[in-house]
Amino acid sequence: MFLLGFLTRRLAQGAVIVLLVTFLIFTLLRVIPGDPVRLMVGGMAPDTLVEQIAEEMGLRDPIPVQFARYMSGVVQGDLGQSFVRPASGAAVGGAAFDDATRGERAQVLTLIAETAPYTIQLALLAMALALLVAVPIGVFAGLSPGRWPDRVALYLGSVFVSVPNFWLGIVLALVFSVQLGWLPAIGYENFAYTILPAIVLAVEIAPFIIRTLSVSVAQVMRESYIGAAAVRGLGQTRIIMAHALKNASVPLLNLLGVQFSLLLGGVLVVEFIFDYPGLGLLTINAVLQRDFPLIQGIAIVTSVAFVMINIFVDLLATMIDPRLEY
Amino acid sequence: MTDQTTSLAAVTTPDVENSVSQRILSGAWSSAEFRIGFFVFVFMVLIALFYPLFSSIDPIAMDVRARMTPPLFLGEGWSWRHPLGTDQLGRDMLMRCLVGLRYSLLIGLATVLLMLAVGCMVGLFAGYRGGLTDTVLMRITDAQLSIPMIILAIAILGVARPTIPAIILVLGLSGWPVYARVMRSVILAERNKEYVRGATVLGASDLRIMFLLLLPICLPPIVFVAVLDVARMMIFEAVLGFLGLGVQPPTPTFGNIIADGRKYLVNAWWIATMPGIFLLVTLLSLNLMGAALERARNRIYGGLE
Amino acid sequence: MTETPLLDVRGLTVEAGRAEAAPRILDDVSFSLQAKRILGVIGPGGSGKTTLAHALVNWLRPPLEVTSGEIRFRGEDILAMPSDRSARLRGKTIAYVGGDPQGAMNPTMHVGEQIVEKLRAVEPGVSYKEARERAVALLGAVRIPSPEQRFGEYPFQYSGGMMQRAMIVDALIANPELLIADSITQPLDVTVGAQILKLMRELSERFDTAILFISASLPTVADVADEILVLEGGRVAEFAAVDDVISRPRHAATRKLIDELPKLWHRDGMTTAAATDKAQTVLSVQNVSRVYPIKSKSGLGKPKLLQAVRDVSFDIHAGENFGVVGESGCGKSTLMRLLTALEKPDTGHIVFDGEDIFGRGRAGTRRFRREVQLVLQDPFGSLPPQSSIGEIISEPLVIHNEGDRRQRRTRALDMMGEVGLDRSLYESLPTRLTAGQRQRVNVARAMILEPRLMIMDETLSALDQTEQSRLIDLFERLQAQHGFTYLFISHDIALVRRVCARIAVMYLGEVVELAANERLFFNPGHPYSKALLSAAPTLEDRRYRPEDCLLEGEPPSPIDLPPGCAFASRCPSAFDRCRKINPQPVYRGDHDRAACHLLQPEPVAS
Repeated sequence: MFLLGFLTRRLAQGAVIVLLVTFLIFTLLRVIPGDPVRLMVGGMAPDTLVEQIAEEMGLRDPIPVQFARYMSGVVQGDLGQSFVRPASGAAVGGAAFDDATRGERAQVLTLIAETAPYTIQLALLAMALALLVAVPIGVFAGLSPGRWPDRVALYLGSVFVSVPNFWLGIVLALVFSVQLGWLPAIGYENFAYTILPAIVLAVEIAPFIIRTLSVSVAQVMRESYIGAAAVRGLGQTRIIMAHALKNASVPLLNLLGVQFSLLLGGVLVVEFIFDYPGLGLLTINAVLQRDFPLIQGIAIVTSVAFVMINIFVDLLATMIDPRLEY
Repeated sequence: MTDQTTSLAAVTTPDVENSVSQRILSGAWSSAEFRIGFFVFVFMVLIALFYPLFSSIDPIAMDVRARMTPPLFLGEGWSWRHPLGTDQLGRDMLMRCLVGLRYSLLIGLATVLLMLAVGCMVGLFAGYRGGLTDTVLMRITDAQLSIPMIILAIAILGVARPTIPAIILVLGLSGWPVYARVMRSVILAERNKEYVRGATVLGASDLRIMFLLLLPICLPPIVFVAVLDVARMMIFEAVLGFLGLGVQPPTPTFGNIIADGRKYLVNAWWIATMPGIFLLVTLLSLNLMGAALERARNRIYGGLE
Repeated sequence: MTETPLLDVRGLTVEAGRAEAAPRILDDVSFSLQAKRILGVIGPGGSGKTTLAHALVNWLRPPLEVTSGEIRFRGEDILAMPSDRSARLRGKTIAYVGGDPQGAMNPTMHVGEQIVEKLRAVEPGVSYKEARERAVALLGAVRIPSPEQRFGEYPFQYSGGMMQRAMIVDALIANPELLIADSITQPLDVTVGAQILKLMRELSERFDTAILFISASLPTVADVADEILVLEGGRVAEFAAVDDVISRPRHAATRKLIDELPKLWHRDGMTTAAATDKAQTVLSVQNVSRVYPIKSKSGLGKPKLLQAVRDVSFDIHAGENFGVVGESGCGKSTLMRLLTALEKPDTGHIVFDGEDIFGRGRAGTRRFRREVQLVLQDPFGSLPPQSSIGEIISEPLVIHNEGDRRQRRTRALDMMGEVGLDRSLYESLPTRLTAGQRQRVNVARAMILEPRLMIMDETLSALDQTEQSRLIDLFERLQAQHGFTYLFISHDIALVRRVCARIAVMYLGEVVELAANERLFFNPGHPYSKALLSAAPTLEDRRYRPEDCLLEGEPPSPIDLPPGCAFASRCPSAFDRCRKINPQPVYRGDHDRAACHLLQPEPVAS
């Protein structure tokens, strides 16, 4: 009963959020200067042709009309077609202004579906690496506030968070790929190509986990029930493992929900540096090519992912701490 | 009655008279990491401000004869004239890094100020007014939070021309939701305190309570931790430059220097790495200060001091 | 006294750190406790009571540490034992119950599971099934209703009193020989606290457990203990049998504790300001109700209704001291918010000076707020932390646009003088002040507009007895000078006994009785009033015994109120009609009334 109500409410809220996001991006793309049609048909094309194509594509209609048309497609699962990408793969050159065969252009949904698995693989590996490093550091720091594990966590966290991700990518590629030849860096052929990008991403995420965990563990350890547990006769190991860590994990879960956008931002840059064929690279290329339908599609998909992840995270948090349910 | 009250005053310790912000600052100052960060940061800012003024080197002047000079003591042909070496066009790396740092700091600070201003106002109104205002503002905040900031930023900057005000506006407007949330939760907690209720009963207006009573108390702790975000925004600025969406060449920024240097990685590794180290050191100093401030704040709010 | 005492503490000294000048929290404390006896420990705040409890269970946190002395348990010094052996005593042989039941258990685990976890930690041989059975049985024994179901609930689903019962189960389940009970009734309402005390006495007999009972309330300790240890400033002031301590106190500290106790049942010496017969009505509360909808988090279904204030009516006359008394959840705080126009009632009217306070929009509310001022409970949360005392006191003048800067300063300084604050404090921040001084700042701030009615919402609750007395004197003086009317909202029976002429008793949102001071105390009309009076701790001869006035059980939740009288579930004289029909107020004389089916209307005197 609770679960049903919770999901209904959150999904409804999520739908509103996604709608808002879509509208925001949609409007922004049409309000700011830079005509995508000009880019599509090339600088040489006559203005009349630009106008003609724009009219044909409905880009001169009022924004609400365009938005309504777009949304009616979206609810049927149609995110539209890319402006510039053909269904076959490589981007269509800007000069091909006599192009009439729009049917050959790639479906946005297909483009996203093809690239998303790579990104998910990268994100999961990065998250695993980050947790592997950050959880022990954060927990030890939280258990001994002010002492050396805490110092280590502070300095390590500060160094990690200060490293510009794109620069680290370049340096790691230079060292491990160019000089040592241990790991491949550019493109994607097999799993090994995921490792370097994942390390860069993990370095970016880890400090947030360290910081959140060390704070929340330290805080839980100060709770009176932790002190009381020892007086009641429980052993220290049991107090930490069964009581402290469980309760300290709730803020970490919330962090993972909120910092989803951080992860995505990182993915974008890392994929660009390593030419990794995921969603991030797709996004950057879409932006550079002013491929409006693709940008919109990616924004919708990411905000849906954000909403879903947050619902899942909150549900998990409620299972750990039932007080959140009330 | 007076002798009695003076004796009561004598019982209390006088050194707790400082305000919360003073206690946070002095708490942070007493830690080594804050001082290290502070001195490094001040040093970096000073040279970024004054070295270009007193040096005759032009950051965009090319000198083909001196191209790809390595940094001091590293490799052949280094010179004192170019302590960090030169790039592929013979431009002085140190000067370019310093100019880059100026822009980076300018954009980082301005962005965070904008984020703070927008976020705190939204959070203040949402938290204090509650009800419908709260619901509407927070749904907008959630929506904004669910678009990865960087996608929004590059989407806008990729389509529009990236100028400095545009970059500040875009980064600032996409970063405010976190502050709105934090401010709202702080206000929500503070709003139910008795002194706020007391002020209402005295007849104080809502605006008076919000801006004269709550804001001075709730803002400083948030501002301290915003130091961490200055560093984050500087990274974003560099990322944008790296993607070609930041301040445009020939103006040097960390992002575009590193993007350029990437092509010469094998022949002249320092072009891409030196600005990175430069940026890293600056950010590290900021982050150390921010982390120390955050800890001091947590200690004080956690009731440990 | 040939047998070895169960607990023998010798020369125990606890200091905050090892430094030469380190403050001594406990100084050379010695006492002993025989098996199966109850030793009460009493002392004013800061006398080291809790430190003593913590030292006994090895719970001292740095910088506190034992610097000398012995704690002999069955003849063996705990402090000298290897740490694994002393750890095995904890929870098993020496159990502890503290004064913070809601914070004593992990909030994200079932209460029952945590009791089982504890039992199996101190008695490793016990199977889960057996431990569970023992826990459920004991939960039933401490009269927690439906213990099987309660076993699987979380701490936040328990009320404070229930949780304290569960903590007692947790402490006693491993059959300890010594139980240290540190301020266990302190956070609880008096009627609930009285039930817990009764339970403690029963259980200690049943389990043959010796108890070290620590409390700040001398009457409570005297009620429970066989012997009393009086602590003062970390030293033992007196250690003797209960009767000796009460009737023949030898130490000044003990005498002070006894003298400071407010007198409930003396008929003289009360200084309550009563209104003259012709006094006009200042504030009239007419059939006021306030309901809060409680949304379920899932957002489905109808919101439940929390009836915080139900059909409350009373009049306050000019120049009198009116009291509203009741326990937590009785609607006092909601009533305060309504009376200060922070919230609007759902039904009914609040009439001030002949005018509905919500009747004339913002301007009317603003004018009302000049005339009625509020002094709040929490001396630490009620002052804005970053304004100077002068600013705080003169702020009402700024808000209401009165006087220029210099006039405001003069008036603020005058006020400081009147309430007994040193004028040199004008520029200081409130952080420097003691609780009593802070409340004086609050009083000065409320007075500066010269209001007609002052609402004192638990204003004195956070202060110790001495400071309370001083402030009461101050209130009287100010009343004589300025002609204020006071409304005291409090949970403290002794306080309203001392200062209020007429008293309204609230229970679950209703005024169950409204009576003059004397009548309420010596001839209460409502069984709940009687129960409340019986539970008030006192050393005097009790007029009413809690055993006769109160049944086991907790007040029903204000969300699902039963149809009849709200007190029926705890009332010893309840009968069928009480559970079906909510009684109407029955007048006893001109003004006094009580809502009980047992009462017969008394003829109006005039």
